[in-house]
Formats: sequence, structure tokens, C-alpha cells
Amino acid sequence: MKTTGDNAALSLVLVGGSSGSFAIFEEMLKLIRNPLSFALIFVLHRGKSSTSVLPQLFKNKTNVYMSEPYHLDPIEANSIYFAYPDYHLLIGPDRRFYYDMSEKELFSRPSIDATFASAAMSGIPVKAAMLFSGSSADGAFGMKTLAQRGFPTYVQNPAEAESPRMPEEALAAYPGHQVIVDGNLFSIINNILQ
Amino acid sequence: MVLIEYPELEILITRIREISGFDFSGYARPSLLRRAGRYLTTHKMDHGQLLVHIEQGGSVVYDLIQELTVNYSEMFRDADFFRKVRTEVFTYLESYPTLRFWVAGCASGEEAYSMAIFLKEAGFLGRSLIYATDLSNKALTAAREGVFTLGNARTFSENYMAAGGEQSLSDYYRVAYNKAIIVPELRRNIVFSMHDLTGDGVFNEFQFISCRNVMIYFTLELRRKVFGLLYDSLSMLGFLCLGKRETLRYSGLEDHFKIIDSTLNIYQKIR
Repeated sequence: MKTTGDNAALSLVLVGGSSGSFAIFEEMLKLIRNPLSFALIFVLHRGKSSTSVLPQLFKNKTNVYMSEPYHLDPIEANSIYFAYPDYHLLIGPDRRFYYDMSEKELFSRPSIDATFASAAMSGIPVKAAMLFSGSSADGAFGMKTLAQRGFPTYVQNPAEAESPRMPEEALAAYPGHQVIVDGNLFSIINNILQ
Repeated sequence: MVLIEYPELEILITRIREISGFDFSGYARPSLLRRAGRYLTTHKMDHGQLLVHIEQGGSVVYDLIQELTVNYSEMFRDADFFRKVRTEVFTYLESYPTLRFWVAGCASGEEAYSMAIFLKEAGFLGRSLIYATDLSNKALTAAREGVFTLGNARTFSENYMAAGGEQSLSDYYRVAYNKAIIVPELRRNIVFSMHDLTGDGVFNEFQFISCRNVMIYFTLELRRKVFGLLYDSLSMLGFLCLGKRETLRYSGLEDHFKIIDSTLNIYQKIR
């Protein structure tokens, strides 16, 4: 277990995606250098029986601490977290993770909306939220909530997403998101992550 | 989706307590916030309207409490957990002449029936008693009936097979009116009864307690108290099972248990 001071400043970077996002997440992790000034939280739709443990899968991509957090674990800067399958992962105002097993949201558990909306309500600053390829409307509500509260939001260009529906729905719900145009996808991500 | 803010949630908690006596103050705020938001969304109202609504009296506030506390489960949810219980925990329990199990927070009974099935297959259902408790009378009524949709029964069957079930799950229910109804034989050794983990005390001593994905809805402080109750209800060397993303951390009882499986969250009381 790594620990940092309780009073250390904390900000969040949120990343959501579904089908077609995995490869982007993998590339993104390669850009990440220790130390990270924020907590990076990934919500990726996965089947409930998926036994692959993402921190294991990604372990050679970055040297930053990665985990699928447990209920009540403190959220810490310089850490990468992955939502666990078949639970909703919520961000608490006390800077801890909370799990929730209530209904699926738009057929998804974990739900991107659940995590993103809870972050927006938590009072913890969100440095950036990003939404990538996927074939459901999950994420649109969470992204809109974050944007309306003044947090920077980025959406993959639907024309360049493997499954365009997720970024499309986000833009339909709130046209003000910044669209990440391909070609400079990773340079933009890199800037956000600095 | 309708959102509710934390300060509004606190007002709601206070009003619910004043009107009904039910106290949500020990409930984890992030999930309560999410559930309250979902309630508002389904009922197409905002926070202000909800406050007016519950003032009207009648069953409204109780319906709200019901919706904010309801839990969902599946038979043999987390097949790997049930497999482990069957292969490792049962081996240990085999030597006991009588066995008491407690499924704490049993919702509609799915886990209690799952335990009964595996106990039957292991040959010690006859000397076992399963206490399945929940806060909600509505959930307990459903649990006693043991009726599930056929769609759910299909999911449960897959889980059962994955958990290492010896037969076909359909051997344990009969189909009528497009529903799956658990056979009475399984119910005989299950006692469904009302128990509030947050207020009620120890009522028996158990060799096995499963309290999976229940304490995730309590605050850190209340969770610590409930851990105390579970600890006091366990016999020495009894087993405690938690949900997959729960841990003994922050419970204050870390030193009193031996880890049987850290991934599946199975612990044994050792002091």
C-alpha cells in the first residue's frame, strides 16, 4: 500500500470508454510518467465474468501505482485506478472509493455515468474528463454534469472512434465538450496528463 | 437523470427520520445520493417535490425507504466464491454435528437458497440451519416465496454450473406460470426473519456468516459497529464472508481473523 498525506491536494482525471477504447487506454498508459499530480480513474465496460485484472494486464505500460480499488480505499494522487466489473464505482466527498451494486445504468455496471456524476458531486476538483469509443449512451450524462460544473471535458471525435455512439451521445447531450480530433489524439491526451 | 446535492440529501435524511423514525444517518452518502437521484428520476420529481410528497403521510415515505435500501442479488453470485466455500470451507465444517449459517442482508433469498443447495449436495443440509435476515419485510416476503423469473433462473443456472453444481439447477425449482419456484424441501432448513444489522443485536452463534455487499451501504463508523456484531455472532474458528470489493481494512478487527482467501474475501475468526 502506498500512502500520501491526508491533506495533500487531490484532483482527478476521469477516463471512460467501452468497445474500441481498450487500445486507446493502453497507449494512454504508456504516456504516463511517475509522479502524477492527480488520481487517474478509468471506467471501462467489462463483462461481469471478465477475470482479467487490468492492473496486471497493463503492468508493463507504466511505473505508476495501479489498482482496482477496494471499498473505502482512499483516493490518492499519483495512482491509477480501474473500476471493477459488476459494481458501480463512486467517488465520495471524503476522498474514498465507494462501491454500489444498485441496478445497471444503461445496461452497464460499472456505469461511466455513475462514476462521473459522483465525481462531479464530490467537491474534488476534476482536472479533466475524457470519453472515448463505445456502443452505448453511457457517459453522456456524467460528462454533461461535469461540463456544467465547469470542469474540462474531452470527447473523442465520433468519426474516428471505432464505435462512434458513445462520443456521439455525449455531444448530443452537451455540444460544448472539446472534441479530440484524431492525429493529435495522443498529443492532446499528453497535454492533459501533464 | 435528476441529481440531488449532498446538503439536500442531509435535509431528506432528517425529514425521513422525523416522519418515519427510520435513520439513514449511518448510510454511506455516495450510494444514497445515487439512489435518491434514481428515485427522483423514476418518479419524475425534484428534491423539493419529494419533500412535499413525503410530508403527505401515508405509505409514501416507506416506499421511499424501501427503494433506498433494496438490494439485488443472484443465486450463486460470484461462482468462484461458492466454489471455494464448497471445496475449502465445507471440508472444515464437515466435522460439526450441527451447523448454523447466517446470511445477513439476504434480500430476496438468492444466497440463502444457493447455500441450501450446496449444503444438500454436500450431504449436510439435514443438520444445518440457515438464518437469512433482512431489514425489509417486502424482501423477506419475496424470499419466503422463493419465486424467480425464468430469465433470472437462466442466469442462476449458469452461475450454479460455474460454481461447480453437481446437478441441474432446474432440479431445485419447478416452473409454473412462467416463474421458477424453489422446491419446499430447500426451504425447510431456512429461517427467514427480520433483523436490522444497524440496530439489532446478536441473536445466535454461527459457524458461518455471509454478509456480502451489505456493509458497502454503511458509513465507515456504522460499518465498524456492524463488524463488531458479526464478530460477536461468530463462534471461534467460524467463517466470515464479505463481498469481492470489501475488505477487513478499516474494521478495527483485522487481527482477529485469519485470511482464508484474500481475493474472495473469506476469513476465519481466530481470536
